Amino acid sequence: MSAPSERSEPTESATEAVDWDGTPSTAATLGRLVRRELSTALRIRTYVGLWFGFVGVLLGIAWFGGGVRTGYVSTIIDLLTPLELLVPVVAFAFGYRAILDDERRGVLDVLRTYPLPSWQVVVGVYLGRAIGLVAVVSTTLSFLMFPIFVTERYRPVFYATHTGPDSPGLFLRFIVLTVGFALVVLAVSIAISALVSTTRTAIVAVGLALFVLLFLADISLVFGLARGVFEASSLVNSLAFSPLSAYRGLVLETTVAVTAGTGPRTASPIASFLGLCVWWLGSLALATVAIRQ
Amino acid sequence: MSTQPPILTIEELEHAYGRISVLEDVSFDIRSGDVTAIIGPNGSGKTTLIRGLIGLHDPTAGTVAYHGPDAVRPIGYLPQRPAFRSGQSVREAIAFYASLVGETESEAVARLEQVGLGDATDRNVEALSGGMTRLLGIAQATVGDPPLVVLDEPASGLDPEMSVRIFDVAEELAADGAAILLSSHDLALVERTADQVVLLDDGTIAGLGSPARLRAETGGDTLLEAFEAMVSGDAGTVRVQGVST
Repeated sequence: MSAPSERSEPTESATEAVDWDGTPSTAATLGRLVRRELSTALRIRTYVGLWFGFVGVLLGIAWFGGGVRTGYVSTIIDLLTPLELLVPVVAFAFGYRAILDDERRGVLDVLRTYPLPSWQVVVGVYLGRAIGLVAVVSTTLSFLMFPIFVTERYRPVFYATHTGPDSPGLFLRFIVLTVGFALVVLAVSIAISALVSTTRTAIVAVGLALFVLLFLADISLVFGLARGVFEASSLVNSLAFSPLSAYRGLVLETTVAVTAGTGPRTASPIASFLGLCVWWLGSLALATVAIRQ
Repeated sequence: MSTQPPILTIEELEHAYGRISVLEDVSFDIRSGDVTAIIGPNGSGKTTLIRGLIGLHDPTAGTVAYHGPDAVRPIGYLPQRPAFRSGQSVREAIAFYASLVGETESEAVARLEQVGLGDATDRNVEALSGGMTRLLGIAQATVGDPPLVVLDEPASGLDPEMSVRIFDVAEELAADGAAILLSSHDLALVERTADQVVLLDDGTIAGLGSPARLRAETGGDTLLEAFEAMVSGDAGTVRVQGVST
């Protein structure tokens, strides 16, 4: 964050005064910021309710969709579309006030008087919230493996036309991809939290972001394809533009398609991965710039 | 007033929000060992000036130059309404800030004792009174031994006893060699404590000097009388910068 003598034409001695020798290492500072954020997150009981709700909804979808009793990949197919909605909602719940609360309460102003670069504040807040989010998403999806293991029985019938084996390994891959998608959306929500100035505008911004992520980005892709903005042959790469499509493409290509064997490509895994990385890094960079202002 | 060279020099500082000028041609020095008090009517630009001095926003014109010694944290800051993460104990709250400048927890606790919060280290920050929260905020402002400590209305809304305690702490910090800059509406305490008073009115300096000098300039018996003599505008009318003439 800004040092007092870095502004307004400092004198030579002023420049010397921002020599931060003796301050803790970056890793140590980040560790303290993460611990503070994590301890705050652990005290928010809403997250416990969020976890129970997340488990309940996903279990209900998987159970009544029949995927649980069929196998791992069929459960992935059942859960994929609902997760495209639920993961952004949960990630936004974790992040949309993370920086805003500190800004409104004057904590960021105080932190600006410490030898603490803006990016460390953003990364510290992000990692602290990310640990909680990863715990919620990964434990919920891991929990679903248990009923699949106990009740799956129709797999031979369902996969009679498929070339690959159903396996917990594919479901674990699905968990990793979903956690990664959640972390990208969390970065977007941290950026929103840094850009807005009131809780009301944060809620509006989150609503807009959900609309953009869930609908507008995909609709833009369809519109672009229809208007010839990009070729149909490049669609698998263009899907990486939308984080939702990138996540969906990664899941389909690395779990479902593995089992299904031959068929048309649904996405480019490399482009999708890079697309998610751009959203992730771009959002954290935006948050850093926003709190530096 | 201290005879030491200035630790912070403010020259021809100006600040505007859009086309509305909030500060105009503000110049003064801050010295180590002094308590410098910024006083003025509501809306006169005190908080804007303080935020500009700390670097929380860039001035429209003018300079703020720090001449103090090398320090891990050149300026400590107490905002008007200090806030701490809910659920933290007083010890955890101060230890977090202390850790950012490499101080140990025992050094952090020593800062609590310095401001009189030694018996409240295990209390939850949400269970602190307004005065105790300010004292914790002042302890936070001293973390890293900043040569300049800025306190934005540290006694606002507190009972007289706690206000006196807060000003006493500021005086003790100055006696230890720090430069203290504070803003306040409590003119009696400012008169008792401050070595230098900056009287802001409508974004400009209407008076500058020791309380005795301001009294002498206006012929007033108290700082309040000097304040009333120097501040323009009618009593009962709130001046709105950019609107009132």
